[in-house]
Amino acid sequence: MVSITPNFQSEPRLHEAARIALPHIFEAAWPDPSKLGIDSKSAALLLNEARETFSSHLGIRSDEISFLGEPNLGFHMGLSGLMSADERLVYSNIDRMDVFAIAETHQSKMLKVSPTGQIDFSDLAPSDVVSLQLCNRETGIIQNGRPENIAGLFVDATGSGTRIGLPENWSTALWDSTTWAGPSGMGIFAVSKSANWKNPLPHLDGRINPGPNSLPLIVASALAVDSWVADEKNLAAKIAAINGDIRSYISSNIPDSDLAPGGADHLISASFLYVNAEQLVTKLADKGYSVDSGSACSAANMQPSHVLAALGVLTQGNIRLTIHHATTFEDVKTFLEILSQTVSECRS
Amino acid sequence: MILDCLGKRCPLPIIELAKALTDKPLGFEVTLLSDDPASEPDLFAWARMTGNTAKSLEANTFQITKLAN
Repeated sequence: MVSITPNFQSEPRLHEAARIALPHIFEAAWPDPSKLGIDSKSAALLLNEARETFSSHLGIRSDEISFLGEPNLGFHMGLSGLMSADERLVYSNIDRMDVFAIAETHQSKMLKVSPTGQIDFSDLAPSDVVSLQLCNRETGIIQNGRPENIAGLFVDATGSGTRIGLPENWSTALWDSTTWAGPSGMGIFAVSKSANWKNPLPHLDGRINPGPNSLPLIVASALAVDSWVADEKNLAAKIAAINGDIRSYISSNIPDSDLAPGGADHLISASFLYVNAEQLVTKLADKGYSVDSGSACSAANMQPSHVLAALGVLTQGNIRLTIHHATTFEDVKTFLEILSQTVSECRS
Repeated sequence: MILDCLGKRCPLPIIELAKALTDKPLGFEVTLLSDDPASEPDLFAWARMTGNTAKSLEANTFQITKLAN
């Protein structure tokens, strides 16, 4: 297997099971599965198998599943589809920018999270539609509260993947295939059979997404999720231990560091006072390590991460580490020594 | 003392503030002028991390009191 160890960026390498099978899948899954030809029938079988796989891993009915070639379109479909003229969109100040943009077009209310990133759902109205992020993708914060007695619940599972189950009262939900090391450009959007949802996109028939979808990517993603979930059972404890090692190393060995509150074991966000993040990320890249950053100087729009600012966490000198299944204790030990040296270099 | 960091990008305003306070006595006050969007959140985070205080006076203007060495 190819080493992916220096990669602490959010994107995982495509899962080996999908990578090996992909050329064969492209060979078998070329016909349109909705047509009546013999080849289309076998393509339809592949599609149905994939639907069943996702159904079992995501805890939803297979006929509730739609595929999205642009996963982030699911924020609009999931939220705007639940809104009518009388309803209010409720979201938090650590929610996705995609949700902020949708809120601008509706009656809405932004809730401020606690210092640990938790949302207080106690003051909701029956006409509220709530955006619930199961896991925040920048920090790993897992939302413990569950809104109840509301008009609709959109669940953003693009940070948690298969790790956290849907609340029972979900209306719409969104996953991104990359969370289980599936191909990018593959989202799964679900509308609950009990939801009061209207398609916000122009449409004439009952279909949910405009399509057409890439059947090979759907099949590859189904292979990836099967394998990833099996790997996760064996590797979750290692990832939790690595998370603990990184947090304790940074807080005890790197002065003037600020760890963002977390939750999910595969994510850590840390900021270093008096450090230019662009310089830090570039120096780490020169030494062979890839990390993400939420600092303004590394962002396209020169704005600091609204998530870090909302939490009161330092936004300068920020790095975000994603621990992947292939990450080892040895890689992390070396990386942390280099990180500590590089932070000192940036400060001198 | 007024520290003018207008036009300077993050993390420079916070670095210059820390330098300006190095040899000053406890209780020393600085007015920081900064229009960088990261300055407001970072100033409060800096105050929390270093044991100093900061407050926002008006747009792009902050008052800092040195309370720790």
